[in-house]
Amino acid sequence: MISDEQVRRRVTQIMAEEFELEPELLQPDATLYEDLGLDSLDAVDMVVALEKAFGMKMTDEEAVRAVRTLGDLFELVSHLSNQQAAKE
Amino acid sequence: MKAAVVVIGSGISGLTAAALLAKKGRRVIILERNKRPGGALKRFTRRGIPFDIGFHYSGGMGKGEILRALWEYIGVWPRLVILPFPPEGNENLRIRDSGRVVRAFFSYDRLEDELQRVFPDEKQGISTYLNKIREISNTIPFFNPDLPLTPYLHDLFSPKGMSLAQLLTSLIQDTDLHAVLSTPVFLYGVPPREVNLTIHASVAHPLYSGVYAIDGGGQAIVDAFLATLAEAGVDILTGQEVESIIVKENQVAGVKTSKGEICASHVIYTGHPTSLLDMVPDGIFRKAFYNRMRNLINTNSMFIVFGAIDDPDTLGDLTWVNYYNIRTGLDIMDLDLRHPEKSIMINAPGRRDSDSTGASRGVLLIRMSAWDEVARFDQGVQGKRSSAYRKWKAESADKMIEQAGRLWGDACSRIEPLAIGTPLTFRDRLGSPMGATYGVQHSMNQFSPGVRTRLPGLWLSGQGTLMAGIMGASLAGMVTVGEIEGLEPLWDEVRQCR
Repeated sequence: MISDEQVRRRVTQIMAEEFELEPELLQPDATLYEDLGLDSLDAVDMVVALEKAFGMKMTDEEAVRAVRTLGDLFELVSHLSNQQAAKE
Repeated sequence: MKAAVVVIGSGISGLTAAALLAKKGRRVIILERNKRPGGALKRFTRRGIPFDIGFHYSGGMGKGEILRALWEYIGVWPRLVILPFPPEGNENLRIRDSGRVVRAFFSYDRLEDELQRVFPDEKQGISTYLNKIREISNTIPFFNPDLPLTPYLHDLFSPKGMSLAQLLTSLIQDTDLHAVLSTPVFLYGVPPREVNLTIHASVAHPLYSGVYAIDGGGQAIVDAFLATLAEAGVDILTGQEVESIIVKENQVAGVKTSKGEICASHVIYTGHPTSLLDMVPDGIFRKAFYNRMRNLINTNSMFIVFGAIDDPDTLGDLTWVNYYNIRTGLDIMDLDLRHPEKSIMINAPGRRDSDSTGASRGVLLIRMSAWDEVARFDQGVQGKRSSAYRKWKAESADKMIEQAGRLWGDACSRIEPLAIGTPLTFRDRLGSPMGATYGVQHSMNQFSPGVRTRLPGLWLSGQGTLMAGIMGASLAGMVTVGEIEGLEPLWDEVRQCR
C-alpha cells in the first residue's frame, strides 16, 4: 500500500523533472492543460512516465481523459497503484 | 533549395507520402541517405539472381481492397503487374514437435476447411477465431472503407484489449493449432502474448483474404513510384544524410543535410523515432518524450540466408508455397537462443516473376533473430567488420542450411549462400535500432508513437508509426499526408478509387 502523501510527492517530482515545470506551479488545483501547458501529445508521455515510476497500467482511457487537475491525477495514480498492487 | 515538404527516407511510406503530396500540388523533396531509393523494398542481385529483402507478398491488392485503391489513387497501379497467389498457394507449416503438417491457405474458407480437417476436435474454436478476426477487421476502416478514419486512429496507439494468446487459449486446446493461428506474428514481429487482437487482425485479415506478389518484386513497386514521382516533379536526392531539423519560432523551417540546407515548412520523418531525437534542437521536446522514445520496445530482427539451390523442385511448389518448420504452442517466435533447433522458413519470392530465368534458383532461408546474437560484433563499419563476425555469420548460415537439408531434402543441404543478413545488416541498411525488421512494436507493452509530434510541421511516418509491413507503411504515408492536408477528405478521395 502506497500512501497518498507518497504518491503526491512522487507524481510532483516526475512532473517537475519530465516536463521541466517549476515546482511551485505544481499545486493540486493546477490544471494540466491550461496552467501547466501540457497538450494531448504530452498526456501520452505523462502516462508512460507514471506507469514506469509506479509499476502500474493506466489503460482506462476514460479515467485518464477525466483528469483535469494535478489533484485529480494524484487521486487516479493512488487509486490505480493500490488497486493493481492488491491484485498481484 | 526550397520545398513545401521534405520527406526524409525513401522507403514505401516516404514514397507514398511524397506521391500524395505532389498530387495535392505541393513541391516535395525526398532525401535518402543511401545511394538507391526504396528502403526495404529494394532488390539486390548476386550471380544474376535477384533477391527481395522486404517484400515477399502482401494482401490488400484485390478488387475493392485498400492497397489497390491507394495505388490507383496515386497512379502507380497501372504500372504494376499483380500476380495473385493461386488457390493452392499456402504457408506449409510443419510443427517440429509433432511432425504434423498444416497448409495455411490464403483464404478464409480454404483455411477453415484445412484446419477443421487436421484438427477435427477444434471445429468450433476454429470457426469462432476466424469469425472474430473478420468481425474485428470490419471495425477497421482500412478493411471497411465506409468507416471514417479518425476514431479508429485515435484508439490504435493505446495498449489495451485482449491478447492473441488469451483468445487462442480460451477457444482452443491443441497447442499445434495455437502455433498455426499465431503464424501471422511473423509478419509483424510481436509475440502472441503481447499483441492485441486489433493489431493481429490488421495483418491476419488481409492474409486470410488473399495475397499477391508483384512481377519484378519490391523493386517493381519502387520503380513504379519513381516513374510517377518523376512525372509529378518530385526530386529524390540520394546520398544525403539529414544532420538536423531547422526550427524557427517554434516550428519547422527546414533541414540541414550533409550537402546544405533545404527550407520547408513541413518535414516527414520516416525513420525510427529514436533516431529523430538527435536531429531536433534541444528544448523542443520535453524530457518525458525523450525518455519514452528511447525506451520504445522494437520488433524482433531476422537472420536471412540468400542462397542458390540446384534443385528447386525438391520441395514441391516453392513458387507459391512458403515452407515453415515451427515449434508448437504460443512461443512461436522462438527467440530463445539456447534452443538448438530453431523455427525456420524457406521461400523463393523471385520465382514468382513472369521471367524467372535468373530467379529460379534463388531461395531465402529465414529465422527470427535478436540483437543479443550480434551485439558483441557491433564495431567497425559495414563491410569491414571483424573476422569473428564473418566466421559466426558463415557458421550460423551453415547451421540453417544443414537444418533445411534435414527438413526438406538433400537439395536444401546444398544451398549455396550468396549473401547473409543479420540484425547488424538490418540495423545499418534500414536504420532500425537493433535491426528491428518491423520497426517499433505495436503491442500491449506500450503506447506506440503516432504521426504527430509536439513540433508544428514535424511528422512521423513509416511502418513503426501505424502498422507493420508494406500495407502498414503505405497507410502510414497516407495518414501522415492526411494530417497535413486534411485526414477525412483525403480518405474520401482514396476510398472512392475502390
